[in-house]
Amino acid sequence: MNEMEFEDKLRALANQMEYPRTPELAGSVTARLRTSTRPRFNSKALAWSLTIIVVLCSSLMLIPPARAAILEFIQIGVVRIFPKPTEPTIEPHITSTPAALVPITATSPSLSSNIIPVLNRMTGKTTLTYAQNKVDFPIVLPTYPSDLGQPDYVYVQDADGELVVLIWLDPQHSDQILLSLYIISNESWMVRKNQPPVIEETHVGKQRAIWTTGPYPVIISNGNIQYEQMVNGHGLIWADVDITYRLETGLSLEEAVKIAESLEPIP
Amino acid sequence: MDESTLIRHAANGDATAWEPLVLAHQQAVFRLSYLLLGDPDDAEDIAQETFLRAWKYLKSFDSTRPLRPWLLSIASNLASNRRRSAGRYFAALMRAFRDEPTSTTMEEKSSQKMQSNDLWKAVQTLNLPDQQIVYLRYFLDLSVAETAEVLQVAEGTVKSRMSRALEKLRNIIQQDFPVLIEGHEA
Repeated sequence: MNEMEFEDKLRALANQMEYPRTPELAGSVTARLRTSTRPRFNSKALAWSLTIIVVLCSSLMLIPPARAAILEFIQIGVVRIFPKPTEPTIEPHITSTPAALVPITATSPSLSSNIIPVLNRMTGKTTLTYAQNKVDFPIVLPTYPSDLGQPDYVYVQDADGELVVLIWLDPQHSDQILLSLYIISNESWMVRKNQPPVIEETHVGKQRAIWTTGPYPVIISNGNIQYEQMVNGHGLIWADVDITYRLETGLSLEEAVKIAESLEPIP
Repeated sequence: MDESTLIRHAANGDATAWEPLVLAHQQAVFRLSYLLLGDPDDAEDIAQETFLRAWKYLKSFDSTRPLRPWLLSIASNLASNRRRSAGRYFAALMRAFRDEPTSTTMEEKSSQKMQSNDLWKAVQTLNLPDQQIVYLRYFLDLSVAETAEVLQVAEGTVKSRMSRALEKLRNIIQQDFPVLIEGHEA
């Protein structure tokens, strides 16, 4: 049987597949839509945080330049990228940061000289297996480059929303980071990138993606937790319905896209 | 009203515009969920959740694009997540292998339908990405372009993954379900 005959056989057998009767979903779906009038919050903390954001945005709307700045951002999943404004804007207020919770950026020069002790102090250090059991979304790993292997460090951080951080060390310089991948559950964390020097639109597969290069501050917030980190490396951001991905690396855009397109769920 | 118009109305909060779209796509969404989960109750849950999620994110959907691949993409992600929780999928898989049909059922069923079930069992032994691609291309009869849209990869990637998946499937069939290709192999 050649390949085409095999495919024809598969198709013929698949067409004979017996399925259970398809349930009538339209009524139940629309009934649920009509009853769900209130937005669902993950927690009181997130609800409180959103209240603050609404109040803050409402008051900023009174100031024309700030209003313009608020509306001019690019959003990919939970990441908002604010380009350099043409008019003066209000600087964001940064609250104090729980140091142990701060994930490490891929190429932070202040940390790259001695990164291992910092990685060991980070909250939520775990294994891939445990991480996959803990989070509801599939954890994906790059299959390109083929010799990349599994991440050297895995973290799951959960503050009213799950965030997985995978870190690969540079094999040539084992005290430095080659690549980091953030897998962020939508509806949880909010990531804000302020005025990256370079913002370039690209694609990962068919998904719209944004490529940014540092240095620029990144603000990551969730509920009453908010922290800021300085990113010197390059970042590729894309999203599907449930998950936002952020790949940080010192590699080129082309290499980053190849890595992003090679992601596969862990077996 | 065409699909694109209904999507625009629904995106503006009109639930009555969403209803005909659910009706139009519920069978494909339910069937993919069933194939991936092996349990009709779980498949119904996932199908319902798919339409609720899609509704929620409808404003971000480009209404000029066909809706079905996007819905199947959501269903596939939700079903994959469900499979990872509580070992439900593996329990269903074990049931599928354990529960032999009764003789009466066997008489009622045509040989080809039993073979279809055997094919499903063979596909279930593949890894998840391979299963997804086989279900989309052969069980739901999607084109390469539509499959690429669901999996959010390039068409070339679909073809190469498909080729690898078929090779694995053929080996499994030859080893465990040779009756499916009997008479064709030398």
